[in-house]
Amino acid sequence: MTFFVAFPFVYTGGNYDYIMHICIVGFFYAILASSWSMLAGYAGQFSFGHMAFMGVGAYTTALFCHYFFISPEPTGICTEFALGGNYLIIKNPIGVTSTTLTQDCLAQAMEKWDGAVAITRMPVWLGVIFGSLVGGIFGLLIGLLVLRLRAAYLALFTLGFSEILRATISAEIQITRGQAGIELPSLFENGITIAGHVFSKTDKIPPYFVMFFLLLGCLVILYWLSRSRFGLFVRALREDQDAAAALGVNTTRYKVLVFVITSMMAALAGAVQAHYVTIITPNNLMILQMSLVVAMAVIAGVENFVAAAIGAILIEFTLEMLRTSFTIGDVTIDMTLWRLVFFGVVLMLTLRFARNGLLATLIDYFRRGHVAAETVARHKERGPSDSVPSEAGRQGAPS
Amino acid sequence: MIELAVSRLNKRFGGNHVLKNVSFEVKGAEMIGLIGPNGAGKTTLTNVLDGAVKPNSGTVYLNGKRIDQLPSFEVAKTGLGRTFQVTRSFRRMTVLENLYVPALALGKSHSGDEVRQQAMEVLEFFTMEHLRNEYARALSGGQQKLLELGRLLMLDPDIIILDEPFAGVHPKMMEVIYEYIRRVNERGKAMIIISHQMDSIFALCERLLVLDYGDLIADDVPEAVKNDPVVIEAYLGATEDRSGTGQNDAAGTT
Repeated sequence: MTFFVAFPFVYTGGNYDYIMHICIVGFFYAILASSWSMLAGYAGQFSFGHMAFMGVGAYTTALFCHYFFISPEPTGICTEFALGGNYLIIKNPIGVTSTTLTQDCLAQAMEKWDGAVAITRMPVWLGVIFGSLVGGIFGLLIGLLVLRLRAAYLALFTLGFSEILRATISAEIQITRGQAGIELPSLFENGITIAGHVFSKTDKIPPYFVMFFLLLGCLVILYWLSRSRFGLFVRALREDQDAAAALGVNTTRYKVLVFVITSMMAALAGAVQAHYVTIITPNNLMILQMSLVVAMAVIAGVENFVAAAIGAILIEFTLEMLRTSFTIGDVTIDMTLWRLVFFGVVLMLTLRFARNGLLATLIDYFRRGHVAAETVARHKERGPSDSVPSEAGRQGAPS
Repeated sequence: MIELAVSRLNKRFGGNHVLKNVSFEVKGAEMIGLIGPNGAGKTTLTNVLDGAVKPNSGTVYLNGKRIDQLPSFEVAKTGLGRTFQVTRSFRRMTVLENLYVPALALGKSHSGDEVRQQAMEVLEFFTMEHLRNEYARALSGGQQKLLELGRLLMLDPDIIILDEPFAGVHPKMMEVIYEYIRRVNERGKAMIIISHQMDSIFALCERLLVLDYGDLIADDVPEAVKNDPVVIEAYLGATEDRSGTGQNDAAGTT
């Protein structure tokens, strides 16, 4: 943590903005991979819809910031509602063709006003909050729909949901601008001053810390959840849903809850990321993107959200570092393409030789390496009889 | 007092009428054996009682509360616990975590020592305390069976249904399970034991229910059931032929 807090201030190598950008994207993937590890690794809900929830968050804030404005005067041509002393203006959708770009009602009204009326954009933070909430609502709906689905059926269902959402966004050109994507205001559109230092909207340090603390917040919540009865119950749910229910666990509630919580995290990350890169397109929801998150979590360790988060950052860095092409004799190896092959091979080897993931196996070694030795020591202390109540045991009634 | 009232239960799977107007009552800490040939409906009856399967008709009341339409977890909290025919431990959770699940589901806090203390007592009874931090998947089949029984102790239900508790169990471990059943019963819990091992059933139970293709064909004390011609024809006759009464008597001495 100290490393990442200090990193932007101590890094003096080249390509400062590029390195910071990789960190921000790494944090973004870390939120997705760690929240997906809670969903798939802890709760056993192998969903392929996580990137779709990310998209829901991103598109919610994008549409909110794109269509909603506050004006002190009514336009008379837009859909508008009185809001205190001002008006909430909802711009009409006009699609993407360049000839119509100035044909939205607000642009026309502003032309008429000729700068006399100041229009206010919706605050980015409000869009981000809405994005996360709508992500949670989608998570709730999907969670309820997949209650009876397990394993491959759940994966297929969520894959279907993800593709339907992407296709819908692509098709609804009028509203979502389809493949062209929607532009969003920057996280700090007017820059930000922190401790007397003025950062412009393109500076990397503010979004770096926004994404970093978002990741930290998500990890703290995931840690708290994993240590609470929620963590215990969702793992029981993963192991055997019927047995957990027979022992008094409300499996429906926890299955839906884990979907809602992790979807909200994915949507939150998506909304902030969209404001950071200032555009969101349906391609961000592609199954390839989801595969990347899955691969990151699986390579690092899907049953350990900390491993998944660290793994996501490391893999993002590795993938970027591997972009440098090189030549062997007369042959040029184009690493921009071959790096993905390398990534795929690592994934396959991990699945074959370290199914719990590389980092999680290492963490488990340090956390649980002593358990076997302790069991043997306790067994020796107790004597050789195996699994037959000792006299001491027989004296005490089960309670 | 514990009271389970099952009335005219019917369950069909497609054209297969698995439970046909099954009615019986359990009053107090009875020790009941539920027997019947394969396909008789024993496990389906368990699943209906535990809420995993909803009946087509009929009612089940536990201590005055109707439970036949409740989900499993609420039935468990109302006071009915069960094990499964095939052991279903939470394999990638530690032994202690397996035991914590029902205790926490009942609303107990795991921050204090109470639940841990209770879990350790359960493990001591099974002499499995040295395995407490191992994953359940590291346990032998028999130990996993004991762990499943231990989880029921943590749930502390009024009625326990054990589905084939002796299947594939070494005689030494069978003693542990006998001990468990007797101890739990002594504490005032009613038990319904499903088993094909007649020796164990006759050794432990004071009342037998016999299911045959969904019909409850007998509900009586073991001696009466053993001599019931309908039961002999449906089920026991074959067993008698194979094992004889001598073996049943031998089981009674364990």
